[in-house]
This record gives sequence, structure tokens and C-alpha cells, in this order.
Amino acid sequence: MTRTFAVVTDSTADLPDEWRELYDIEVVPLKVLFGDETFRDGVDMNNEEFFRRLAASSKLPTTSAPSPGEFAEVYQRLARDHDSCISIHIGAQLSATAEAARIGARSVEGFRVEVVDSETVTMPMALLCRVAAESASLEDAVAAVKERVPKCRVLALLDTMRYIEMGGRVSRAQAMIGTLLDVKPMLLVKDREIKAVDRVRTRSRAIPRMIEFFESDMPVEYVGVMHAQADEDAGRIAAGLRERHPDLDIPIGQIGCVLGTHTGPKALGLVYIKK
Amino acid sequence: MAPEPNPGVDGPLFKRALLGSLSWLSANHEEVNRLNVFPVPDGDTGTNMLLTLQSAVEDIRESDAAEVSKIAKLASHGSLMGARGNSGVILSQIFRGFARAVEGKSSLTPAELATAFEEAANAAYRAVNKPTEGTILTVAREAGRAAAAAAATPGATIPRVIAAAADGARAAVLKTPSQLQILRDAGVVDAGGFGLQVILEGMLKTVEEAESSNGALVTSRSAAPVASQVAVALPEEGWGYCTEFLIEGSDLDLDVIKNQIEALGNSVLVVGEPELVKVHVHTDDPTRVIALAGRYGKLLKLNVGDMSTQHRRILEDEGQAARAPRPNGVGIVAVVAGRGLVDIFRGLGVDAIVEGGQTMNPSTQDMLTAIESVPYEEVILLPNNKNVILAAKQVLGLTKKKVHVIETHSVPQGVAAVVAFRADRQGAENLAVMKAEAERVHTIEVTHAVRDTRSNGLKVKKGDVIGLINDRLEANGSGYAEVVNKALGKLAGTFELITVYRGKDASDDEMAQLESAIRSQYPSLEVEVQQGGQQHYPFILSVE
Repeated sequence: MTRTFAVVTDSTADLPDEWRELYDIEVVPLKVLFGDETFRDGVDMNNEEFFRRLAASSKLPTTSAPSPGEFAEVYQRLARDHDSCISIHIGAQLSATAEAARIGARSVEGFRVEVVDSETVTMPMALLCRVAAESASLEDAVAAVKERVPKCRVLALLDTMRYIEMGGRVSRAQAMIGTLLDVKPMLLVKDREIKAVDRVRTRSRAIPRMIEFFESDMPVEYVGVMHAQADEDAGRIAAGLRERHPDLDIPIGQIGCVLGTHTGPKALGLVYIKK
Repeated sequence: MAPEPNPGVDGPLFKRALLGSLSWLSANHEEVNRLNVFPVPDGDTGTNMLLTLQSAVEDIRESDAAEVSKIAKLASHGSLMGARGNSGVILSQIFRGFARAVEGKSSLTPAELATAFEEAANAAYRAVNKPTEGTILTVAREAGRAAAAAAATPGATIPRVIAAAADGARAAVLKTPSQLQILRDAGVVDAGGFGLQVILEGMLKTVEEAESSNGALVTSRSAAPVASQVAVALPEEGWGYCTEFLIEGSDLDLDVIKNQIEALGNSVLVVGEPELVKVHVHTDDPTRVIALAGRYGKLLKLNVGDMSTQHRRILEDEGQAARAPRPNGVGIVAVVAGRGLVDIFRGLGVDAIVEGGQTMNPSTQDMLTAIESVPYEEVILLPNNKNVILAAKQVLGLTKKKVHVIETHSVPQGVAAVVAFRADRQGAENLAVMKAEAERVHTIEVTHAVRDTRSNGLKVKKGDVIGLINDRLEANGSGYAEVVNKALGKLAGTFELITVYRGKDASDDEMAQLESAIRSQYPSLEVEVQQGGQQHYPFILSVE
């Protein structure tokens, strides 16, 4: 089956590598800045290299959205063998990416671009891309994706407050966290907001609490486990969930550079789309 | 008076102006970064705007185009390619609108320049899905309006139009906290708007320098945006902002202005001439003062100094979580002594602290007063010491408020209970979880024996270091590290985290020795050291 419409997302979707070819999805990289050095997420820098530098760097990196011009170039290229495209991006409350995509799209004439603000981040975006890629037409894809946007959830367990605090996306107030004591916050991305749903002092207590929260939020259409350099924990969580919920296919994904800038290493996540 | 030379904005001048903006923004972008509030779109606004502007001028450096339209087009293209962050994207749209407005023109008159500023703002508004007031958009629009007004006055010059745009931007920036709650809460002005102000100021500096080297009149204005100027707004009651500015107008009535300003603050000073009035006031509401004064004429040299940075720091330190009303309407009061411990409890969201503990047990009255001071009808009280529990329970019959005493015996138990508190969970459920969490942690308290004694099979001499596990004497010896490791060895079960609260009397050496002793004995455990500042107990350990 050849699709006439293209599917575009950005690197914060943390798209599993094999999906890129399998579903023919175009990924536009955000940027990670270590001081004066700029890297394109997943292009100039892979996850291992990123977390190695993150640990070694005294100053935290910052992140930035692709420019409208970069989006325009991608759309122009896709216009050669597609008549339209759906472009699914990180929530506008978190990044200027969707805005840049929208502006970039305007400069490409005769090529219809439907930009969708996913209101979320990481693997739910990848799942939305998969839904789009499996749709029969652009209209179907847009409808199917938009219907699921409000149902996307990211439940994240951070190993430390340090990175999210420095990243500025979540205030201490939102996270219910005092600065002094090192507390592991559990955050939920939902309805364009990031809220702390729990805080725990030790990892071994935190993981079951995260699973408990997820199971109370079931049923789900999709679920995946995300991790930043914590594949053993992620594997155990996925195995436990598969045992209890054999009907669910549970992929494991890695938190990429841009999101990793805000979560820090050892973060874990359960990402899902509710039924 | 000889007529002023009135050259227009051509390619070379616009190029110099943009390079001037770049160097001025580059000197001030950290100032812009400091204004970021939560949530910040894509990191640092100042850095993003600087990178966008750098990209805008990249191709201009090489260009010797005589026409302003060509330079504007290069800026538009360059900024679009290099736009970063929300503010950068909007900046690129401002350049785009400007370029469109000056298309085909080789040089701009003051009126054409003003129109281009206005068109630039319009383009930015159109580019954004849901325009928000109180952001760079508003600042761009007000700059355009001020420029248009200046261009319409007789004898308008290019520097005056740009000066008006920069002044318009500055006034709009100062008003942003009144338009956006998030800025008000954070106590800052809008970062993107301020970035645009800096860009216009950079342009003005360049154009003024060009003028002065031509021997023409230089318009007067304040030189640099000082840090205090941007730290405007969010008047918390009783905290003053030193607000100063000049009003330029005609037939200004000093008495009328003074009366009105006096209603808004104190230390009021209103002096000057009917054409130029200097105003100084300490006020809680600089935005209102500025709005009021703005009705009389143009404001110059506006400077709002935050007299309460310390206040704001404290506000941040205490954790704003404690200040936002809780959905479940439950407050927390804790009995704690020691500066560090007080800060830790406050940081976790405790609403009121009763000073006290082992040797200075607080009275029931002290606890009652604290409970009454909390703005909630339901309050959880944490005694955090076994000798305080009884007095704490007496409170129950003395207040109309619904009080729950969770019988925490120690600081670690108290911390565990507070960490488990959730503002979205109802009373009974919270109590059960907090109690369970408190009971789960083990407390090791380390102190010196005040007399010879025999207890729990241990023979203790006065002055010995002793270790109590959950209130029971379990270890003694001559050094802290030795006693702590003995005590840890007596704990059954598996543990992950040891939090050490360092007392007032523990030295750096003793702290370091203890920490390395624990780490070498238990290499797989996480060890966190906190400054507790408690008396009598050099170390309190929480084991979980």
C-alpha cells in the first residue's frame, strides 16, 4: 500500500528506530545545546553519548525547537512524492516545535500540511504516528489522531528533581517538592499539564507505586515503558505488566536527548493511550 | 535654529542598526534569561532570541546593499531559518512583517519606518494561533503605536521614531505583569517582550551614535536596562517598589499628580516644571502608578527597583506549594527544632512550625496557636518526639478545628509522614498512608550519655556516645562512626536510603568520618546528608 500523505513527527516522539522504516515516518530533530555546542537530537548525538555527556557536564544542557525554515525544507522534500502530510508534534505547552512547524508549512505552496499538537511528549507521539500511518487517508489520519490526543498520558518517575527543576518546565510548587530533601517525584503529563501525583523517597517503593497508579487508570489502548539508562528496571516493569495483562503488547523505549535533558538519568515512565 | 539633517533609513544604516541590536542583546541576554518563568517554552528566552537574531544578521554582515528592502529581506530569511523558541519564532515573524512593509523601498522616511514597525507587529499577531496579551506581541504592538505617534509629530526624525518605539516597548514590558497571571506570580516582566525592548534599544544606540557623529542632536534617554528595572511587579502586601520616572508633557499640574500618586504609596516626591516632572514613590503597585502617570504624558527614564528581593527569595525558598490553597483543605503543623530541619519541613509543605523537641517541649498552647494560624479547618499535627505526643493530644478538645495527631516519635518519622502527604487525597486516606510511612522508617539518634547507666544490657558511662534505635538504647562506644555502624548492624531487613541529619554540634570532620564509615560499610546504600541544625543530637539518621 502506498500512502499519498506523509507522516512527520519530531525527535521528542522517541520513535523506536525500526518504526521509522516500518511505518515510513519522517523525524525532524530538536536541538540540544551543551554550552556553545549544538547537536541535533538523535542525529549528531545518540542517547548513550548524551547521557554520558550529561553526567560529565557541570552546566546542564538546554534544548530548542527546530526552526520554521528547517520544517519548510522537510515539507518541500516530502512534497516531491506526497500530496499532503500530517505533522504530529510535542505539546505546545512544552515546546515551540508545533508553532515552528505551522509557520514552516505556510511557505510550502501546493502541499497540504496538517499540524497536530499532541499535547504530550515521547512515545504516545510515536503511537499517534503509528495510528496515522495506518490510516487510509489524510482525513482519517487527522481524525484518528485528534480523537486520541486527549487520551494520551505520560507517567514519569524521576530519580531526582535536579533536571526537571533546571529545565524549567515544572515548578517546585507543581511538583510539591521542597528544595532541600531529595525526593523522587512521580509526574503525570495530561491535559496540557504536568502535575505531581506522588512523591517517594526510595526507588524500590516508587516503582510499585507507579505501576499501581497506571493500573488504576486502565483500560488502555496502548502502553509502553520508557527509560533513561535504566533498562533493567524497565525490563522488569514490562515483564510484570505483560504477566498481569497478557492482552497488551508492551514495547520498551528509550528516553531521548531532549526529554532526557529534563528528566535526567535513571528516569522511568509508563506511557499510554487510554481507551 | 538650523533645520536638523533628516536622513532616512537606508540599507547601510539598517544594517548598522541590526548589528547594534545584536551586540546590545548579546550584552543583555542573560538579563532576559533571568526573567524566565514556569513553564518556559524551550529553555532560555534570552539565548533563543540572541541565536535567532544572530541568524538574522548572518548574511547581512556580507551585504553592502544600498536598499533597506534588501537588508530587511535577508534579516527575514535568516531569522526564519534560525528561529529558536517561541520568542525567536515570533521575532522572525516581526522581521518578516517588517520586510514585507518595506518591500521595494531603498530608504525609509520616519513615517515609513513607523508604519513598518506597526506592520511588523501585525504580522507577528497573525502568525500566532492564539495571541496572548502581556507577551512580546503586546510589546511589539505598543512599540509600533508609539513609533507612529512620534512619526506624526512635526519635525519627526528617525532617532525620535526609534526612541519612541523603544520607550513604547519599555512601558509595555512594565505592564506585562498586569496582563499575565504567570508573570505576576513569578514576580517578573515578560522575557520575550523585554528581549524586544533590548533589540530596539540597541537600534536606537546605533542610530543615535550615527546622528551624533553627524553633529546632530541626540535624543536623551536612559542608557541601559538595569536589573532592578525588570524585576518589577507582584506586589505582595507591605513590600515596596522604589518607582522613579519623568513625565514629559505640557501644562502638567504638579499638585494634582502628587495627590494622585500619594494615594498609591509613600515617600512621594513630585518635582519639576509643567513640561517635565520627576516622580519618585515607594509603592506596592508600580503598574498602577505607571498607568496613572502615563495619562499625563510620555514616561521617560522609568525605573522600578524591587526593594524586596530578599522577600522574594524567602518566598521561593519556602516552597510555593505551601502557599497555594490545597484542594483537600488540610493543613499541616509540625513540631521541630533546628534551623535546617525547620527549612526541610517547610520545603515539604508544612504550614506552621512549632519550635521545640527533646529538651524544650512545646506547650499545648504553642501548638494550639500554630493550628489556629493555619488557614485550614482540618489540620494534621506532627509532634515528632515522643515527649511531645501527650501535649499534642490535648489540643484536640481545645479548638473547633478538626485536628489529627499522627504520633510521630522522631524527625525521620515526621519527614516520612509529610513526604507521603498528598494535597489531592482526602483526610482519612492521607492519615492512613502518612501513618504507615512514618512507621516504616527506622530512626537512629546519636548523642552523649549524660550519666552512667545500664540499659538494655549495655553498660554506659557518662560522656559515651550512644545510639538509640526507635527510642531504645542499642549501641554505645567512643566515636560516632563506630556507634552508628553498630546500630545499623542491629537493624533487620533490607534498606536503600540513609538520610543523615547533621546536628549543630557535629564538626565537618565528624560528619565526613561518619559518612565515609557508612559508605564503606554499606556500599550499596544511598547516603544523603542534610543540615538539620538540631541541638543535643549530633546526628539523627533515617533508615528506609
